[in-house]
Amino acid sequence: MNSFRYFPNSEKDIERLYRILEIKNKNELFGRIMGDIPLIDESLLETLSSCMDEKTLYRFFSDIDSNLPDKNKFSIFAGGGIYNHFIPSAVDSLISRSEFYTPYTPYQPEVSQGTLFALFEFQSMIAEISGMDVVNASMYDGAESLAEAVLMSIRLCKGNNNLILISEGVNPRFVSVVKTFIGDTDIKIENVVLDDKTGRTNIEDLKFKLKSKGKNGATVVVQQPNYFGVIEDLEELEPVIHGFNPRPFLIVSSTEPYSFGVISPPGFYNADIFAGEGNSFGNYMNFGGPLLGLFGAKKEYVRQMPGRIVGKTKDSRNKDAYSFILSTREQHIRRGAATSNICTNSSLNAVRAAIYLSLCSKEGFSEISLLNLKLSHILKEKLLKTKLFKLLYSGDFFNEFSLRILNSSVNVAKFIKEMAKREILAGIEISESDILISVTENNSLSDIDGYIKNAKAVLT
Amino acid sequence: MLKFPGIKGLFFDEELLIKQSSKGVMGISIPCSGLNSSDLKKSGRAYIDKKFVRKKAPRLPEVSEPTVIRHFTRLSSWNMSVDSVFYPLGSCTMKYNPKINECIASLGNMKNLHPLTPDFLVQPALKIIHDFNLILCELTGLAEFGFAPQAGAAGEFSGLKIIRKYFDSNGESRKIILIPDSSHGTNPASSVLAGFTPVEIKTGKDGTLNVEDVKKYISKDVAGIMITNPNTFGIFEKDIKKISGIMHENGSLVYMDGANFNAFIGNVRISDMGIDMVQFNLHKTFSAPHGGGGPGSGAIGVADFLKKYLPVPYVSFSNARYKISEDKERTIGRIAPFLCNFAIIVRAYAYLLSLGRDNISSVSEIAILNANYIKKKLGKILKDSDPFEKGLCMHECVFNDAALEKSDISTVEFAKLLIDYGFHPPTIYFPKNIHGAIMIEPTETESVKTLDGFIKAVGAIKFKIKKLKAIKSPQKTKVGRVNEVLANKHPIFK
Repeated sequence: MNSFRYFPNSEKDIERLYRILEIKNKNELFGRIMGDIPLIDESLLETLSSCMDEKTLYRFFSDIDSNLPDKNKFSIFAGGGIYNHFIPSAVDSLISRSEFYTPYTPYQPEVSQGTLFALFEFQSMIAEISGMDVVNASMYDGAESLAEAVLMSIRLCKGNNNLILISEGVNPRFVSVVKTFIGDTDIKIENVVLDDKTGRTNIEDLKFKLKSKGKNGATVVVQQPNYFGVIEDLEELEPVIHGFNPRPFLIVSSTEPYSFGVISPPGFYNADIFAGEGNSFGNYMNFGGPLLGLFGAKKEYVRQMPGRIVGKTKDSRNKDAYSFILSTREQHIRRGAATSNICTNSSLNAVRAAIYLSLCSKEGFSEISLLNLKLSHILKEKLLKTKLFKLLYSGDFFNEFSLRILNSSVNVAKFIKEMAKREILAGIEISESDILISVTENNSLSDIDGYIKNAKAVLT
Repeated sequence: MLKFPGIKGLFFDEELLIKQSSKGVMGISIPCSGLNSSDLKKSGRAYIDKKFVRKKAPRLPEVSEPTVIRHFTRLSSWNMSVDSVFYPLGSCTMKYNPKINECIASLGNMKNLHPLTPDFLVQPALKIIHDFNLILCELTGLAEFGFAPQAGAAGEFSGLKIIRKYFDSNGESRKIILIPDSSHGTNPASSVLAGFTPVEIKTGKDGTLNVEDVKKYISKDVAGIMITNPNTFGIFEKDIKKISGIMHENGSLVYMDGANFNAFIGNVRISDMGIDMVQFNLHKTFSAPHGGGGPGSGAIGVADFLKKYLPVPYVSFSNARYKISEDKERTIGRIAPFLCNFAIIVRAYAYLLSLGRDNISSVSEIAILNANYIKKKLGKILKDSDPFEKGLCMHECVFNDAALEKSDISTVEFAKLLIDYGFHPPTIYFPKNIHGAIMIEPTETESVKTLDGFIKAVGAIKFKIKKLKAIKSPQKTKVGRVNEVLANKHPIFK
C-alpha cells in the first residue's frame, strides 16, 4: 500500500477495512470474488511507466503542447464543420467552477438546479437563434445529431418512409455518420446533386427524386450554409418539399449556426427538425472533440425527440424550479423502446454555450456574425484579385467559400502543406484542385493580408 | 445534526438572464479586425441577397460581463458536485476529478488545434492517442481500442455494429443479443439501434447469471451476449468464463459493458474472462469529469480478430510517423465527425500516467474495500434489505427497500432525506429487478471517515423516521421538492 494523493484512506484505514471484512489481503479479496481468474502483476506492466509526479506530468504535456502549432502564431482559415472563434476568458473562468463540471447528469433536480437552469437558458437561446419551437439539452455533435434527426423522421413516418434524400451540400463526414446509423436497415439514402453554377441544392433533381421515389414518404436533408459555404435557398426549397404528398420531412443541418446572426434560420422556413453543430458557441476546437450537438424540432414532434429536455416547473413551495421532462422517451426508462440510446451528452459544452451567448448578448452576437461575413468576403475578393484562384460557386456565402487553384502544378494538398509551413492553415481540401476556406472574427485584416502574401509566394 | 455536512446555507436567488437585460448592453470584447469605418458600417445586404438576411435578431440576453459572472456563479452554487459532497451514485463512478488533468486539457495549443490540421504538424497529439491505446490494450488484454465513440452508449452502439458486421462478413445473419435483466438501459436501446432484437435473461437469486439459464437461450440466431461485469448489483459474474465458452462454442460474441471497469482496473485483464469486446467510459473509471451529463468518451476495445471492424478514422503508426487513417478493411464506418473526443482522452491518459504501474491496482482494490465496508455496515442498519447478503460485492452494493417499507417510507423519500444531511443520494430504483433499489458506489477516492458519516446519516434517518416523515424533504436546498408531474403535464421548454 502507498500514499497516493487521490486515495484518502491511510495504510491503517486499509488494514482496518481488511480486518472488518475478515479478509487477509488483496489476493484473498479478489480470489474470493473471482475464483481462478488471475491477477495482473502490476510490476510487469510495460506500457505504463512508474507513477509520474505532478510536476513531471505537467512538463510532459506542456512539452507536447509546445510541439504543436502555436496558437498565437498559427492563423487558421480551416472550417469544414468546426470553426476557430474567439472565446472570452469569462467562459473559461465560469466553466472551471467544479460545481458545474464535477456533478453527474441531474437526476436529482433539487440538488442540480444550477445545471438545469443553465441548460434551460441554453435551450431558450438556441431556440431563438435557430427559430425552432423545442430544443433539447444537447447531443454529442452535429453528425450524431443529424443521424438521430433522420431516425426521428423515420419514426414519425411510422414505418412508411424508406427514402432519405441528402443534399450533396451536407458535410460528407456527417453523411458518413448517418450511413453508419442507417446502414443496416432497408431505408435508402440517395444524394441530391448541387447546381453546378450556384452550389445550391438542385431543385429539379430534388423534385425528380421525390416524385419518382418518395411515394411512401421521404426525408430531405440540407445543410445551411452548406458544406461548400453556400447559403441554400430555403425559401424556394421548403414549399417544393412540403408540397409533396405524403408530406416529406425537412431536416436542416448546420455546422455554423453563427450564420443565423446574419441569415434567416431553419425555423423561419418551416423546417421540421434542426440538427447542427454548436461548437462555434464558446467551445474550443480541441482537435475535434468533444463537440456540441444541437437538436431542435417543431413542438408537435417533441415526444419523438431524442435526448434530455429541461422543463420549467414548480417546487413544493410553489417557486420556479427546473427538471428533466418527458423522460419516458429515454433509455433509462424505456430501454429497448426508447427514442435513442443516448445517455451522457454534451452538457458542459452546452453550459459553455449558454455562458458564451449570454456574454455576446443580442448585439454582440449579431455584430460578430456580421464580422464573419465581412472578413470572409474581403479575403475572397483579395484572393480573386491575385488571379491565382477562381470561385467554385456563385451562390452567396457566410464565412466559408470554395475556390479552385488555377495553377495546375500545385494541388491543394501541396498548397495546404506549403502554407502550413508558413504558419497558415489555409483551408480544407475538397478535391485535388479545390479548397474550402473559412474566415472568422479571429482572423484580422493583417492575417488576411498574410494569407494573400504567402499564397502568392506558394503559387507563383 | 452538527456532525453532518448538511447544515444551513445562504442561497442567492437569480432571475433568467433574459429578464435582467438592459437594451444595448453586452459582455464581450469583440476582436479588433482592422476594418475601416466604411466596411464597419455596411449591413448584411451589402454582401448577400437581401432575401437571405435575417430580419429579426435573435432575442438573446443583453447583459454585461459582471452580470454574467454573478449569474452563473450563483447558479453553480445550487448544484451538489463531487468536489463539494460525497456523491455515491451507483454505476456512475463519481470519483475525484484530478485538477492537474484539467490544467493539462486546457493547454493553449492543444485546445486550439483544428482537427483537420495536416498530420505532420500534429504528431505529438496523435502520439497521445496511440500510446494511450497501448496502455488500455495491456490493461485489458485486448488488441486495439477505437476512440471515435463519444460516450458509453456510442461505444455500445459501435460494438454492436461490429458484431453485426462480423456476422455479415461470415455470411450469417443473426438477430438476437442476450442481455441480463439487470443491465443499463442503454444496452437494449443500443441493440435496437444497431438492428438487433434484445432478449432479456433473468438473473439468478445470487445476483449472477446462471449457466443453465443462459444455455436455454442459445440458438444459431444469437449474435452475442452483452454482459455488464461486475453487473449492476456490483456482483462479479462468477461464471463469466463458462458463459463466454458457451457463447464462443455457439459462434456468438461476448460484449462486456465496461461501465463498471473501476472494479477491475489494474488487477484483472478482461481478456482472461473470454471477453471479445468492451467499451470504457473514460468519464467514469478514467477520472474525466462527468460535466453534469457529459461530454465523455466511450472507447471501444476489441480482440485481435475484430480489429478490422473498428470505426474510422483512427491513428496508425508506421515508419516512425503517426497518421490519421481510414483504411480499416471492414470498418463499421464513421461514428463521429472527427477523430475522437481528444480533450477527454488527454485527461484519461494523464490520469493513468499519474497513477503509474505503482498505484493502478490500488484503484480497484480500494474501491472494492470501500463498497464492501458500506455493504456490511449499512446491512446492519437496513435490516433484511441486502439481497445478496452473503457474498462480497465489487465496486458497488445494492439494497432493496424492505427495511424502509417497514418504517413506511419509500426509497425516493429516503433519497431526498439524505440530501438534507449533506450527501448526494445513491442511484435509486435501479436495477429494476431489486424492489425500491438503492445502489451505492463509493469509489476509491472517499475516506472511511466520509463513509462513516454517510452510514451514520442513514442510521439517523432510520432512527428519526417518524419525525422526518412529517416534513417534505429536502428542506435545505435552494428549491423544495420539484414537481416533476407538473413539469411533464404542461411542458415549458424555453
